[in-house]
Amino acid sequence: MKNDTRGLVFVGIGLALVLGGLISPLQAHPMDEQNAAFVQSIDGIAVFPFMYLGAKHMVTGYDHLLFLVGVIFFLYKIRDVVLYVTLFTLGHSATLLFGVLASIGANAYIVDAIIGLSVAYKAFDNLGGFERIFEFRPNPKIAVLVFGLFHGFGLATKVQEFTLSQTGLIANMLSFNLGVEIGQVLVLVMVLIGFTYWRHRDSFGQYAFATNVALMTAGFILTGNQILAYVLYS
Amino acid sequence: MIQSNDKPSVRRLAWVTTASFVVAVVVIIGVVLPAEYGIDPIGTGSAFGLMGLSRVQPIAPENTEYKTDVLELELGPTEWTETTYRLAEGASMLFSWEATGPVSFNFHSAPDGASPGYAESFDAKETNRAHGSYIAPFSGTHGWYWENLGSGYVTIRLTTAGFYSEVYQTRDRISGSRSLRNARGELLDQ
Repeated sequence: MKNDTRGLVFVGIGLALVLGGLISPLQAHPMDEQNAAFVQSIDGIAVFPFMYLGAKHMVTGYDHLLFLVGVIFFLYKIRDVVLYVTLFTLGHSATLLFGVLASIGANAYIVDAIIGLSVAYKAFDNLGGFERIFEFRPNPKIAVLVFGLFHGFGLATKVQEFTLSQTGLIANMLSFNLGVEIGQVLVLVMVLIGFTYWRHRDSFGQYAFATNVALMTAGFILTGNQILAYVLYS
Repeated sequence: MIQSNDKPSVRRLAWVTTASFVVAVVVIIGVVLPAEYGIDPIGTGSAFGLMGLSRVQPIAPENTEYKTDVLELELGPTEWTETTYRLAEGASMLFSWEATGPVSFNFHSAPDGASPGYAESFDAKETNRAHGSYIAPFSGTHGWYWENLGSGYVTIRLTTAGFYSEVYQTRDRISGSRSLRNARGELLDQ
């Protein structure tokens, strides 16, 4: 198979994955209505429910997942994985806590559109797009930190949609944040196992390009879906 | 980033990026728009049967008896009353109530088999009216506790319609003992 044809096959697989998620009841950010009602009824400190919600948000929110896949795609050393994931964590924790405590909320659809764009950005960067087409590659460490800030703003905006009780707000927010990190570690372990297995095979070299094209397409679709939601629902 | 010997050419990068973007736009217009938002600009939604996905199922048939009730409850100063309905899990009820003065209410539900006094609260406010629909999250008794906040008499007029089997009423002064009565005022065992 020619490389471009193979790329298109993978674009198709990426589409199937994204659509599978879109059409199933799991939206990109599934806080089920039951969860929402329960969170709204909480008055006071509830460490474990909020931890659970944070972890669930990360494990089932596939825009965060795809971004992480993009970030660690070409990180071969575990030290680099830790560095980049730490930068991402610092970024999203900062805006999650600051956003909730200062009651700053952006439009959730806009923030989610930027998160979708971060997936496409990282995939384009992985392909060498910035270096080859623009002959300038933005520092990837700064990029992951900045997108971390946006992801955290998304988390903060989402959580504030539930009229959170002021009682125990800080403890509940920290629990949610801790849950997010637990969910992220769970996801990272699975993705890293997959990459470790895949990297030592010939197919990694063959499909790395195509996989990032698929990732970029998925990012564009996520972005488009959020823009549509913004235009039609806001 | 893709390394050394297999670095893609600028031409190829520009090609796949454009293709990726175009595919995304096509999918959004052809699939996401009809399936998620019920908008079908190029007819693919009806062609592939995607239009129903974004629509709420409009009818939920019920097998149990349909009931309607209008209750007038008068509360003196410091008096409270509790009106609850027996609903099975998933059964629905429409309600609307209005009070002639300020009251505080608490809508709560006690699951069957729960220890006495246990209830889950779903809504509590100080107001003089509320209406909406309720779908029972579990089988048990579901309903309102009202308390007169003023120094005069208030009358609460409650209208309900839905698939409940029984109505229970309790009322007393805030410091008084509790007794459970049905809608006809007959004393029930607790």
